[in-house]
Amino acid sequence: MSLTSWRRVRQAAQILFFTLYIVLIFAVVQKRVAPALADIFFRFDPFSALGAMLASRQWIPKLGLALVTVGVTLLIGRVWCGWICPLGSLLEWVSFHKARKRAASLSPKWRLVKYFLLVTSLALALFGGLTLLVLDPIAIFTRTLTTAILPAIFYAVNSIETVAYKVSFLTPALDGFEGLVRGTLLPVEQPAFAQSLAIAALFFGLIALNLLAHRFWCRYLCPLGALLGLLSKVSLFRPLIGSACTHCTRCAIVCQPGAVDANPEDFHIMPSECTVCLDCMANCKPDDIRFRFRLKPAHPEGFDLSRRQALGALASGAAGALLLGTDLRLRQDNSWRIRPPGVVDESAFLSTCLRCSQCMKICPTTALHPAWTEAGLAGLWTPLVVPRVGYCDYGCTACGQVCPSGAIPLLTLEEKRQAVIGKASIDQNRCLPWASGVPCIVCEEMCPTPQKSIRLEEAEVMDSSSRVITVQRPSVLRDLCIGCGICEHYCPLEGTAAIRVYDA
Amino acid sequence: MKRRPPLSRRTFLKLTVTVAAGAALAGCSPQESPSLPSDTATGEATSSAPPSPTTRIVPSDTSASEATPAQTNPTETVSPNPEPSPTTSPAYLAVAHGPDPAAITRAAIEALGGMASFVSLGYDVIIKPNICTDYHPPEYATTTNPSVVGTLVSLCLEAGAKRVRVMDYPFGGTPQSAYAISGIAEAVEAVGGEMHIMSRPKYTRVDIPQGKDLTRVEIYPDILEADLLINVPIAKHHGSTRLTLGGKNLMGVILDRNQMHMNLTQRIADLTSLVRPALTVIDAVRILTNHGPTGGNLEDVQQMDTIIASRDIVAADAYATTLFGLTAADIGYIQASAELGLGTMDLTSINIQELNLG
Repeated sequence: MSLTSWRRVRQAAQILFFTLYIVLIFAVVQKRVAPALADIFFRFDPFSALGAMLASRQWIPKLGLALVTVGVTLLIGRVWCGWICPLGSLLEWVSFHKARKRAASLSPKWRLVKYFLLVTSLALALFGGLTLLVLDPIAIFTRTLTTAILPAIFYAVNSIETVAYKVSFLTPALDGFEGLVRGTLLPVEQPAFAQSLAIAALFFGLIALNLLAHRFWCRYLCPLGALLGLLSKVSLFRPLIGSACTHCTRCAIVCQPGAVDANPEDFHIMPSECTVCLDCMANCKPDDIRFRFRLKPAHPEGFDLSRRQALGALASGAAGALLLGTDLRLRQDNSWRIRPPGVVDESAFLSTCLRCSQCMKICPTTALHPAWTEAGLAGLWTPLVVPRVGYCDYGCTACGQVCPSGAIPLLTLEEKRQAVIGKASIDQNRCLPWASGVPCIVCEEMCPTPQKSIRLEEAEVMDSSSRVITVQRPSVLRDLCIGCGICEHYCPLEGTAAIRVYDA
Repeated sequence: MKRRPPLSRRTFLKLTVTVAAGAALAGCSPQESPSLPSDTATGEATSSAPPSPTTRIVPSDTSASEATPAQTNPTETVSPNPEPSPTTSPAYLAVAHGPDPAAITRAAIEALGGMASFVSLGYDVIIKPNICTDYHPPEYATTTNPSVVGTLVSLCLEAGAKRVRVMDYPFGGTPQSAYAISGIAEAVEAVGGEMHIMSRPKYTRVDIPQGKDLTRVEIYPDILEADLLINVPIAKHHGSTRLTLGGKNLMGVILDRNQMHMNLTQRIADLTSLVRPALTVIDAVRILTNHGPTGGNLEDVQQMDTIIASRDIVAADAYATTLFGLTAADIGYIQASAELGLGTMDLTSINIQELNLG
């Protein structure tokens, strides 16, 4: 196959993997996909895998596929970055004209930031903290799509439809559209997520950085890219410039990640920075850039972490772990910290959860939301159940099915129905029958446990017009309550519910 | 070198403004709103209203005094013939017993005069079962029996309906999962019906002219616009209203159910006055006697093998209470609906036909 066709294959692969990624996002939302496929991108991601295995001190078989990525990288370099990574592809497609000039003025020294981040993240993981996995590129993309971009698209469609339905002659067309997409592409309920703006800001910030340099994130920041870059230093086949080189620097100009060091003294391609896009080869006049077999590691670059820097990164990871551990939020019972079903041990959860937001994506009731500081800064963007927004559906085990690391265990429906995620309690000062003499038993009606975890007792009370009426007053049977939160979700009281689930 | 753009900015803006103005005009035009209840309350209601109960005196075949729990008089009052004899006038309320849910559904509808008396050629029919959650399969009696719903779809299509849609808005789980777990999706799609998702952007706010307490509600408009609405609740225990039957089942067609709970019994009656299903078929094949409406305990499920059907939602609900050893007066919303004139809860004054299919 000629070089041109290989470049086409690469572009096709990018489009293919990007499309697959987006299709899986939609498919997962609708539970239309085997769970084994739902988290496939995370399972090939060695940064998340290494972090989770270091932090939880166990081999996680589900993440073993990451070894494939490691193997491919050891063979021919960062194929993941240039061919597969959906965030990388997106950043390649969003290109700004002036970025090239600006990039030239950026010191290559900045490239060390990503290595520093990598070492810091892994050092933190070694101490049990996975907080910095929020910087994993697949996690960033998935989290942003889940909590911000898709809800925004749904909001747009719903708003347009709401207006369009007021125009009577459009109704048949809208009905047809609805029949096609509602429940398949469009969820029935408009989702909304905590933290969506902060998450979107990070994502669009990364894209905006492309103004400074093409694929800025991939060049300077991505910790997964750093990990694969280190592996690429010893990959067996590397793009090497041959002796026919005329130093015309065309390769350096076309290189997407700026991986050609155009220093005339040492004109070479830096394997750790190369994303295997093949553009240099296609543009080489003497046609002398090839993948050549090398056993010897590539020589170090100026921006590689020095021993001192590496130790500094390790130390900051360790210090970060210690500082995060002093967070009062972790030492204290926190009533808002309700975890998905099956999660028992908070610290074990924090050292296994990839912060990937797959669970939030699939949750049919939008019960799961990214945490801010409810679980300390250590638990940033880990999933929390927020019952007032969405209850944990008694007939659903989806989150455990798509969790790539098993932080949310895979439960059978029977096990899930026994899994206690919290306990409800009633505020008698606000509850309608208790406080206002207004009949209401919505919590009891909604309670899904077979014996009903809410007991009703009749009481004679005075209503607002001083008549004596009989109301039913609810109280929680704590032994039976599993904390699913449907009572809190549907409590008709305005604002905070009069029945609330607390972390148990 | 300056290339002329295919569309200048100015032309583009002009076009946009024109289109927007057109759309705005169209949007402002007084739209005919078939959903407006004023139609329903006056014109249509007279045609679809239940036949006046007083005109129909109990015929000889079923004694009204025996409108006590159905299972207590299995053989003596009923004919073994599933088809009611063509000479008898259509029943005001039909009650069919038998082990086959499909057969008793057919028999009950036949006793009311057959589906042809409800469906004309080309009718657009909506069936509203109770698909409240995605928790349990049909054996738990939390959702309407799939075979009953499937049979009704078949009957409508056989009678010439052009489309039969089945819909509910579950409170537990998504419509898709609840439709699947309940077994209703399979039963309906097997016979050519459609499972329909009630989409939020389509809900419209309408007035309830007859409403005493609930006077305005956001409702799925297709429910009001359909040529025929068949209300197919399952008879279940319920914490506050004691039983959820035909009237309570209508809560599935509105969005803001919290507002309902403030004065549930009256508001269900008010909602019934707006929706006015032309046919109510109560599924009492299995009934849930406790821990409703969500259920989950097979001990709370009682096999009754019964279908109750009537044009009069109040009469159907009133009869269904007897299966639980109660009377219509025990259920607030039945009483309130009767007081609104939506039907009769006096079972002694109506033509009840009981059928036993072995």
